[in-house]
Amino acid sequence: MRWGMVIDLKRCIGCYGCQLACKAEHGTPPGVYYARVLKKEDGEYPTVRQFALPVLCNHCEDPPCVAACPTGASFKWEEDGIVDIDHDLCVGCRSCMMACPYTNRYFNDQPAHYFAQGMTPFEQARTERHQRNVVMKCNFCRDRVRAGKLPACVANCPTTARYFGDLDDPSSEISVLIKERGGFTLHPEAGTGPAVYYLPP
Amino acid sequence: MAEISAKYEQLIHDLRQDFRPQREWGEGRGLFLVIGHFLVGVAAGAWLFGLLFDYPPGLFAGFLLAGIGGIAHLGFLGRPERFWKMARHVRTAWVARGFAGLTLFLAGAALYLPPLVFTAWPWQATSAIGWLGWLMAAAGMIILIVYMGFVYSASKGIPFWTSPLHPLLYMTYALRGGAAALLVAMAMLGVPTEEIAQRLITIWIAITAFLIILFVLEMQGVLTSGNAAARRSAREMLSGRFAGYFYGGTLTLGLLVPLALLSGKLVPLSVAVLAAVGLLSALGDFFMKYTTIRAGIHAPLELRPVRMR
Repeated sequence: MRWGMVIDLKRCIGCYGCQLACKAEHGTPPGVYYARVLKKEDGEYPTVRQFALPVLCNHCEDPPCVAACPTGASFKWEEDGIVDIDHDLCVGCRSCMMACPYTNRYFNDQPAHYFAQGMTPFEQARTERHQRNVVMKCNFCRDRVRAGKLPACVANCPTTARYFGDLDDPSSEISVLIKERGGFTLHPEAGTGPAVYYLPP
Repeated sequence: MAEISAKYEQLIHDLRQDFRPQREWGEGRGLFLVIGHFLVGVAAGAWLFGLLFDYPPGLFAGFLLAGIGGIAHLGFLGRPERFWKMARHVRTAWVARGFAGLTLFLAGAALYLPPLVFTAWPWQATSAIGWLGWLMAAAGMIILIVYMGFVYSASKGIPFWTSPLHPLLYMTYALRGGAAALLVAMAMLGVPTEEIAQRLITIWIAITAFLIILFVLEMQGVLTSGNAAARRSAREMLSGRFAGYFYGGTLTLGLLVPLALLSGKLVPLSVAVLAAVGLLSALGDFFMKYTTIRAGIHAPLELRPVRMR
């Protein structure tokens, strides 16, 4: 079993719904984005197209962040392939951020609230579990997945551009999509074996 | 609050860039990491040349610099109180190996050095404990000289640092820094013999020449066959935001001025000249490491395999 995600760039409208759903789910502080959306252009004049590129931790098969972590704070769950961080072990050396070819790790040294007057009750409830001065990143909403739910970004995508499933199962929806529609990964040359695939725009 | 807000705005700005500069290592508290890497490299080199020239002040300089370098590393960590956990992942992480090397070096030096100064110390430098300290420090020294470049070359997210020549370049910096530290120590505490000083200067020139060749090869590789982010980093260093540090700090202060001083045409060779050459050489190396780290740019996220339909 290896959890993976497929993002259909043809369906994605760049609404930032995934980014906001993730923020609401995890209560990540300012400066920490487990999921974010990039606006990109492809092609050459006159056939140019703008599209949205949602990015998140790629939960690599061979994660360079895990190899680079001196404490073992970054690790991969054996049973489902999710790359996670044990914040009690993180010393904040940020070598994982330098090792990640996808730049999807963030150092949490910002204030934990968005508004000048301090934390809202919602922020308080959501952020009390976060540690300061450690590295943070997406964990495919592992708690939700273990409870039988979809990750927040997948469940809240209004255009259903995101699919979540088992990459090891050749008959799963995501495996079929990758095969039939030419799913590809970012930075294949890095040899990390990402679990996040994209379908062409 | 204003400072934090500025940092947040900077991050948002960076996230919008195709070529996002890395700021965690080298900016703000990240400067402690650059200082730490620089001092620890010089310390290991100073220990090596202290042993080669049988010059105990070089060993003491190495121990002192390594101690300060270790403290600088702690200053950089987000959670310094957990530093001891960094030895957990020695099997794969170069940072962990460096931490183990520094610990070994400091512990070994702490065993080996005191009997060299205090005659009434409970053990002698030539005793079993003294030899154990010597061995530990020597092993730590080798690790410290070797590991640093690999910390960078293992950083897959920063293509500029992943050149295969990078580890060799950092080993050479450590040797040049060690020679420079010994020049300064000899100038301050007295040159054992003129022949030793002359040999050290010759070694410094040889290492510097090798360093120049390595640097040119690395830059040539980056600019001709590196990816777009690596080329951008090289341009930042040679003609962009950090060009002032490179040309002013590394090239002029760290190379041209020391060579001019050693030529004997500006001022006659003296103890003061040795000290100046050592200090300027070390300063140049610091700027080199600083610009290399600061010029690092994250690999851009792009859809190269995608074709328009």
